[in-house]
Amino acid sequence: MFSEWNWVAYGFYLLLNICSLEASGGLVQSCGHIIPESPVLALGSNFTALCILNESCLDFGNIYANQIIWKIKNKVVPKEQYREINRTVSSVTFNDTSSLATPLTCNILADGQIEQNIYGITVTVGLPPEKPKNLSCIVHQVSKLIYRMVCTWNPGRHTFLDTQFRLKYRWPQENFPDCIPKDVNNSCTIPDVHFFVNLEIWVEAANALGKAESDPLVLDPIDIVKPLPPHNLSVSSVLPTVLKLSWVNLITNPVMKLKFNIRYKIIGDTNWMEVPSEDTASPRTSFSVQGLQPYTEYAFSIRCMKEDGVGYWSDWSENKTGITTEDKPSKGPSVWRIIDASHSPDSWTLHLMWKALKPSEANGVILQYELTVRDKSTLSSPVEKYNVTSNNLTLQLPNGTYEVTVVARNRIGASPPSVLLIPASNSKAPVTNLKALPKYDKLWVGWTAPNSYVLKYVIEWCLVSSRSDCIIEWQIALGDVQGMDLKGIKPFKCYLITVYPLYADGQGSGQSVKAYLKQDRPSKGPTVQTKKVGKAEAVLTWNHLTVDEQNGFIRNYTILYKTIDGNETVVTVDPSKTEYTLSSLTSDTLYTVRMMASTDNGSRSGPDFTFTTQKFGKGEIEAIVVPVCLAFLLTVLLGVLFCFNKRDLIKKHIWPIVPDPSKSNIAQWSPQVSAKHNISSKDQMYPEGSFTDVSVVEIEADDKKTFSEQDLKPFDLLKKEKSTSEGHSSGIGGSSCMSSPRQSVSDSDEGETQNTSSTVQYSTVVLNGYRDQTPVQVFSRSESTQPLLDSEERSEDHTGGGDSTPQRQQYFRQNGGQDETSADRPCFERTKQITHANEGDLVGFVQLQISGQSSQPLGFGMEKSTQEAGLSNVFQTSTEGQTVRPETVEENPLSVHEMPKSYLPQTVRQGGYMPQ
Amino acid sequence: SPTGDSWGIFTFLCAALCNLPALPALNCSEELGAGQSIQQTYDLTRYLEHQLRTLAGTYLNYLGPPFNEPDFNPPRLARAERVPSATVDLDLWRGLTDNARLAANYRAYSRLLCYLRVLDSQVGTAELRHRLAHFCASLQGLVLSIGGVMSSLGYPLPAGPAGPPAPPGAPTAPNDFLKKMDDFWLLKELQTWLWRSAKDFNRLKKKVPPAVVTLRLEAREF
Repeated sequence: MFSEWNWVAYGFYLLLNICSLEASGGLVQSCGHIIPESPVLALGSNFTALCILNESCLDFGNIYANQIIWKIKNKVVPKEQYREINRTVSSVTFNDTSSLATPLTCNILADGQIEQNIYGITVTVGLPPEKPKNLSCIVHQVSKLIYRMVCTWNPGRHTFLDTQFRLKYRWPQENFPDCIPKDVNNSCTIPDVHFFVNLEIWVEAANALGKAESDPLVLDPIDIVKPLPPHNLSVSSVLPTVLKLSWVNLITNPVMKLKFNIRYKIIGDTNWMEVPSEDTASPRTSFSVQGLQPYTEYAFSIRCMKEDGVGYWSDWSENKTGITTEDKPSKGPSVWRIIDASHSPDSWTLHLMWKALKPSEANGVILQYELTVRDKSTLSSPVEKYNVTSNNLTLQLPNGTYEVTVVARNRIGASPPSVLLIPASNSKAPVTNLKALPKYDKLWVGWTAPNSYVLKYVIEWCLVSSRSDCIIEWQIALGDVQGMDLKGIKPFKCYLITVYPLYADGQGSGQSVKAYLKQDRPSKGPTVQTKKVGKAEAVLTWNHLTVDEQNGFIRNYTILYKTIDGNETVVTVDPSKTEYTLSSLTSDTLYTVRMMASTDNGSRSGPDFTFTTQKFGKGEIEAIVVPVCLAFLLTVLLGVLFCFNKRDLIKKHIWPIVPDPSKSNIAQWSPQVSAKHNISSKDQMYPEGSFTDVSVVEIEADDKKTFSEQDLKPFDLLKKEKSTSEGHSSGIGGSSCMSSPRQSVSDSDEGETQNTSSTVQYSTVVLNGYRDQTPVQVFSRSESTQPLLDSEERSEDHTGGGDSTPQRQQYFRQNGGQDETSADRPCFERTKQITHANEGDLVGFVQLQISGQSSQPLGFGMEKSTQEAGLSNVFQTSTEGQTVRPETVEENPLSVHEMPKSYLPQTVRQGGYMPQ
Repeated sequence: SPTGDSWGIFTFLCAALCNLPALPALNCSEELGAGQSIQQTYDLTRYLEHQLRTLAGTYLNYLGPPFNEPDFNPPRLARAERVPSATVDLDLWRGLTDNARLAANYRAYSRLLCYLRVLDSQVGTAELRHRLAHFCASLQGLVLSIGGVMSSLGYPLPAGPAGPPAPPGAPTAPNDFLKKMDDFWLLKELQTWLWRSAKDFNRLKKKVPPAVVTLRLEAREF
């Protein structure tokens, strides 16, 4: 309760306080204050502050010193650092000011609860200034009369406080105003300098914590002057080796006596030469520089300082250039020749060439070269003189020994002559052990000197290229050297270097060597091709790389070849070769081959080339084909021989003996015999394809009167049927005749036969065998032992014997029946005949048709039996024929196949007439 | 005796060697070398003489004709007698002691300096004023140097008008031309004084042994 009242009272008091302050003129009167007010403290020192409370506050708020809390910023200072001095004063002590920060406040904890700020101070912590060190001054000449002294010093450590530096200077009894640095703390410029009176200079540094002075510097400013360099430097030439320099000094003698340094260089050089300093150690405004080269441009510059060497050198003046005057050339030009003797053996094209003198030797502008050429072989010959402005001369001379002198001339005079002796032949000893190697990025040529004294050596070199001629460059070396570096050598290029020794009385022959400054791998690989490809080997060819492509010495070629899926095989080939034979290849295989050229520095492959090895080796095909052909020929020959030997047998086989049905009187034995006839007719059918004609044997009516017409009818039908099966004639009706006039030829023959005879037809014999063969077999058939046919055969034999001519005629006529001229008539006749036949023989026809179904196989069987056992019983044959039916099956399709050749067989077979 | 001589030389060398390290530190002291300060004063006199030559030319041009004419040689007016004159008979001057001559120089330059300062304050152009101020400062240096030489030689500084109080009573010229005439004579007398002082110091330089100077140089190289 009490504290509450207390707070109210305190608040009231504060209000009162403020009101009273306003009343007393705006001055705030707080409850206390801190001593010291806003101190500046040295870093690291100790510090004690006091907070003194006003008596008035004590009465109202029960505020006492023991309630004071010290704070740095917002951090409470530990109580151990407090000390209550009395009821109203509390002190705080810091052993190290580095722990201090702004603000330091004095607060009161009123009633143990609320913190009230009483007062605060700003604390500044820093360091006192250090004594400035290393004070040094220099007087810069600004213009002819103005000098400024700049003094610099080391200000020492950072003080964290505002520190003033002042440069102070004075004469013994006279002080000058301080020099106060602008923007910096380590240098100051004194604008007005007085020479020849000693000046005492020092630096004073001061801040809130103290003041420090540097050691004083006592000096006469004239001893620290850095003058301006002499100006208006001019150069004038006096002699070929002397140039005179003049200049204006910016410091006059009473102020300062000067000494100088003069430096110079040839324009283009970087290194300066200096005139000995003792030559220019006294005041002057001109100097002659001697020992220069004639006709050379030099640059000069100059600097100065006080004569006694006290002070500083000025900067170097601006460069000034001057050219020395010309002098006569100091030496003759180097001279060399190229002799071209290719036009004719007796005369030379002599190319004389000489090198322009170096500027240091020419000593001026070379106006012309004066040459003399003297033929040494004849004493009386005059000396030829030439004046040339170029660096070469070409002469046509008969070959011999000449002495050439060359003199270079400029405006002042001529050089000593250079002499070149050109002997008729280079008969003297050459150099030995010539070699060229790269050395420190230069191509070095070395040789061993010959035994005799050599005046000098000429080194010729040229770039070997396939694109251009070898353009010779050359250089002369003195006789005592045995090696030199060549200039202007390009890397990766082949150079041909030749060295000639020159003797007093002649020349040695040149020795040559090829060299590269630097090698690289070839720029392309060789293109490989096959020249010849065999079964197991291939001959590869390629061209050498050109010199430009080589980029170095080709050390070897490498051939790489492989099959599509095989491993690569590598072969190394000597670089001189352009052909190589790959062996042990697989036949009929695709090979890929490429080639690599290698120098010391690498290799490069050419394009791939593919080839296929052959399937057969050389002569292999011949070895196979020739025996095969021979064997074939032999076989054929043997076959022919065999056939010839066995011709009878073959004949029998091909033309079997066919029984002659015409001699058979089988008609009488009908119906059984019909089968037999059938057989024989079928027998004739066998070589169906070969037989084109039907021959009709005409039998004289007399001979055949024994046979009844009746008997013959079936036979006739049979014949017709047969002929239809042959496909050449139709035995039925005129329709067939109409459809095929050609067939009707044969038919009409038949008809004719029938009509002319006007007797009963005896028989129709079908010819078998080849068309021109006489039906001999018919007659041989008649020799059959068959009892039934015996008489018939015999009678036929007779009749055949007696009447063979007309029969044959008929036969042949028929044979030539292709002839169409007589075709029409028989056709009509035949129609008649057919009508006759149709009248009564229909039944027989039907019969025959039925039997004909099986007649073919039977017939074949018959044929067989005749082959094997001669004639046998008909029945037997028929039975036999049935047993060999499988064979007939084979045969039948053949006849069927043949059928389309004819018209009728189809109709017959199909039974077109059968329903009738 | 020869032994005594060699001992003497030896002790002298020892003393010199012992003093060597101390010499550079002492080089500020005027006692160090009268020779050095005489040389310096001589150089300064020459330097001032040289400066005055160009300054006088400029100033006489500033005054305008006839003062800037090379053959202008007006008679010395009585009122110019206040300026110390160097036109004393040369033999008489030579007959004086060093001390007397130095003291006369000292007094003369002190007076001349006072007049010169008045002149400086009246000049219209800033550039000329600046050069005059510079010359004045240098001339002040000369006065101090002569004082230094005198003290280094053990002569007392002359009492009297050493400081500035001398000129206040100087009556101003009745007209501009006469004032210019005063200025002309001031510069002319100054030139004469400087010319003669240079001779004095050159002579004095020769009198004072150069050993100290040599020793000092050696010490600097140390």
